[in-house]
Amino acid sequence: MPYLSEMVGRPVTDANGERIGRLEDLIAARRDVAPPQIVALAIKRGSDLLLIPYEEAAALLAPAIPLLRPLQDIRPYEPNENDLYLARDILDKQIIDTDGVRVVRVNDLELARVNGHFFVVNVDIGGLGLMRRLGLARPTEKVAGRLGRKLASNSIPWDAVELLPGNHPMRLKVPSDKISELHPADLAALLSDLSRADSSRLLDSLDMETLADTLEEVEPDFQASLVEDMSDERVADLLEEMAPDEAADLLAELGEDRSEDLLNLMEKDEAADVRRLLTYPENSVGGIMTTEYVAVRPDLTALQAMAFLRKVGAEAETINYVYVTGRNDELIGVFSLQDLVLAHPRTPVEQIMHERIVTLSPLDSQDDAAHAVAKYNLLAVPVVDEDGRIQGIVTADDALDKIIPTAWKKRLPRMYR
Amino acid sequence: MTLSHRLKPLRVRLLLLLAVVGPGIITANVDNDAGGITTYSVAGAHYGYSLLWMMPLVALALIIVQEMSARLGVVTGKGLADLIRERLGVRLTALIIGILLFANLANTVSEFAGVAASMEIFGVTKYLSVPIAAVVVWLLIVKANYKWVERVFLAASAIFLAYIISGVLARPPWGEVAKAFVTPSFQFEPGYVAIFVTIIGTTIAPWMQFYQQSSIVDKGLKITEYAYERVDVVVGSLFAVIVASFIMIACAATLHANGVRIESAKDAALALGPFAGRYASSLFAFGLLNASVFSAAILPLSTAYVVCEAFGWEAGVNHGWRDAPIFFTVYTALIILGAGVILLPIQSLVKTMMASQTLNGMLLPIILIVMLRLINEKRLMGRWVNGRAFNILAWIIVAVLILLTMILILVTLFPGFLGG
Repeated sequence: MPYLSEMVGRPVTDANGERIGRLEDLIAARRDVAPPQIVALAIKRGSDLLLIPYEEAAALLAPAIPLLRPLQDIRPYEPNENDLYLARDILDKQIIDTDGVRVVRVNDLELARVNGHFFVVNVDIGGLGLMRRLGLARPTEKVAGRLGRKLASNSIPWDAVELLPGNHPMRLKVPSDKISELHPADLAALLSDLSRADSSRLLDSLDMETLADTLEEVEPDFQASLVEDMSDERVADLLEEMAPDEAADLLAELGEDRSEDLLNLMEKDEAADVRRLLTYPENSVGGIMTTEYVAVRPDLTALQAMAFLRKVGAEAETINYVYVTGRNDELIGVFSLQDLVLAHPRTPVEQIMHERIVTLSPLDSQDDAAHAVAKYNLLAVPVVDEDGRIQGIVTADDALDKIIPTAWKKRLPRMYR
Repeated sequence: MTLSHRLKPLRVRLLLLLAVVGPGIITANVDNDAGGITTYSVAGAHYGYSLLWMMPLVALALIIVQEMSARLGVVTGKGLADLIRERLGVRLTALIIGILLFANLANTVSEFAGVAASMEIFGVTKYLSVPIAAVVVWLLIVKANYKWVERVFLAASAIFLAYIISGVLARPPWGEVAKAFVTPSFQFEPGYVAIFVTIIGTTIAPWMQFYQQSSIVDKGLKITEYAYERVDVVVGSLFAVIVASFIMIACAATLHANGVRIESAKDAALALGPFAGRYASSLFAFGLLNASVFSAAILPLSTAYVVCEAFGWEAGVNHGWRDAPIFFTVYTALIILGAGVILLPIQSLVKTMMASQTLNGMLLPIILIVMLRLINEKRLMGRWVNGRAFNILAWIIVAVLILLTMILILVTLFPGFLGG
């Protein structure tokens, strides 16, 4: 199949065989689903750049590309915002491989001809592509052949390619499906591979929920460096979207002044939760607990409890456990979602709840939380103060975080990673 | 309710901010490496104050080059290797990165030569000191937090101040020194020409532009902060050249004044003893050791990053050998080869150092031309392209550098070229 690098630089002749310049670039129309289709040729003539519609070229693969008509009869191609200049915008640039979830550099582009039209089908990211660009493809293959190896060309299909926003400034800031469908943990991994400028552009294109989920996957100091350039309003929205314990961790990294500003911008309730969490030391149970749990009164029936869960459950960190609290928020019992579902609808939750409860205190260490989770096979452990009032819960993943750290610890500056 | 429990107080943050020294100053500190110290010592010992006049000019050239690198980094948010690859294609990238790889290997060799020389002053054989240094450097970067390592080295770089102090303690005739700074002179003698070019080659080395630009990109400096970054670059460059000048002054006042000939920084350190005291020798040697180890840690690392950045391979210490094989191979190979060459019984360390500076000198004009082309690209730099006067000045520097490099190559290839 033809490669972009083999075409660029070829002479272009008009209908009379007269040389009019050389091929500088191919322009492809970016389309939503299908691979980009070549729509025009950019031809360097002296210091001018001529844009010739693809239909005017008699052949694209010839050693010298002939045009069908004399130059003066050809109406130049009208550029528009879906144009991709393949050599200028993609070749040698970094792109995101959404299948492999990594950032790679484009060594070449592979085109395919279907029904007389050319399409960009594959992106070559392998060493062979590099050698081809250096004019060393043949010798390399020969050497590899001698060594009894076959060089696999390393390319990724176009539909697994996402351009970095900085490389195609013409395009509007629309979050692409390929990117927003990635798992937040994968997005976080990508961020750590991108330069600062690129990662902040990528973050800008995400909606608030995806942004919050993604940031929750990285360590607070990396979070802090990512939100450094965002406006206070956007960060405040983000903090509201994040779980309060994560929000507190992030604020702790941002410094007292900015934290205070941000907390004032947040909604009162959410800000109050976060403020309380901020008073606990970082590696204490208080530092990792969340206040988004579900608590009900003992006299509720199972049916009422389920209705309540439907109403508030979406906001909670977990609904696997529902806590039962008395008049002063004191923890008196807990039941699981399973208990609830299996109970008769009219049974008061008092009768299905367990009263022997494993609890933590806010000043216990993170290790204590991990032990409790592991020893009693719990998905979450409630945190109570001296008077037995529930303050929050520690979920199993937060408790275990210290023992099994998040894969993407942080982005150390590139030279220093 | 107070937040202070978990928030670092402002005072601490300010201290932290101060602790984060700018890319310009860090680059300048690495600049005074083993090769640099050797060159300045030899220059001072052999030619006294007569080369001092070039130092203000070297400072000007350094500032101009490093300022362009800083501006490229701040405006584009990309490293130099990245820009070269994206704007100038694969072939030029392969050529430049290829030479840079060799030049940086030679530089690494000279850093380990510095380790060997400085430890020999303390009576440690190079067969012990160099392998240990290589392993320590490798482990430091792969296993430790680089940020922390950098702070330690930077703190130790305060030792460079010792060179200024020793320059003052050597009681040079200040009137004569001041006059030397403003009195241009030139000798058409091979040794003089070689040291002249080498001083430039070692002070304005190509790796510095790559390294500084990447650091700036990593720091995420914005165009609004550019004014501060420029201060950082200027201060760093001036600091590097001032330290260099004082090394020359110290050696001129003691060694040249007493007619002592030296071949290397080690000779300089040993020879300083009788004139400036035993502590001066040890301090000189320790400064050389610190500079050598610091640069031996940074050069292979930054080279590995540049190579991977240019060709799009996974880079980063935290990726592990399996995920970033080429990064680790380049990084490790540079250290092993760099240290290995020193352990070969044949070579002269001074020749190695000089060879690395010659390669630097040859690469520099290419890099500068590329930088000038990039920085004058409107599509890339917008309104931050070079001004007219700046361009003229920069091209004069390029022309002078090319001329000097050609003279040096001729002198190296045909030692009798200048009739010496």
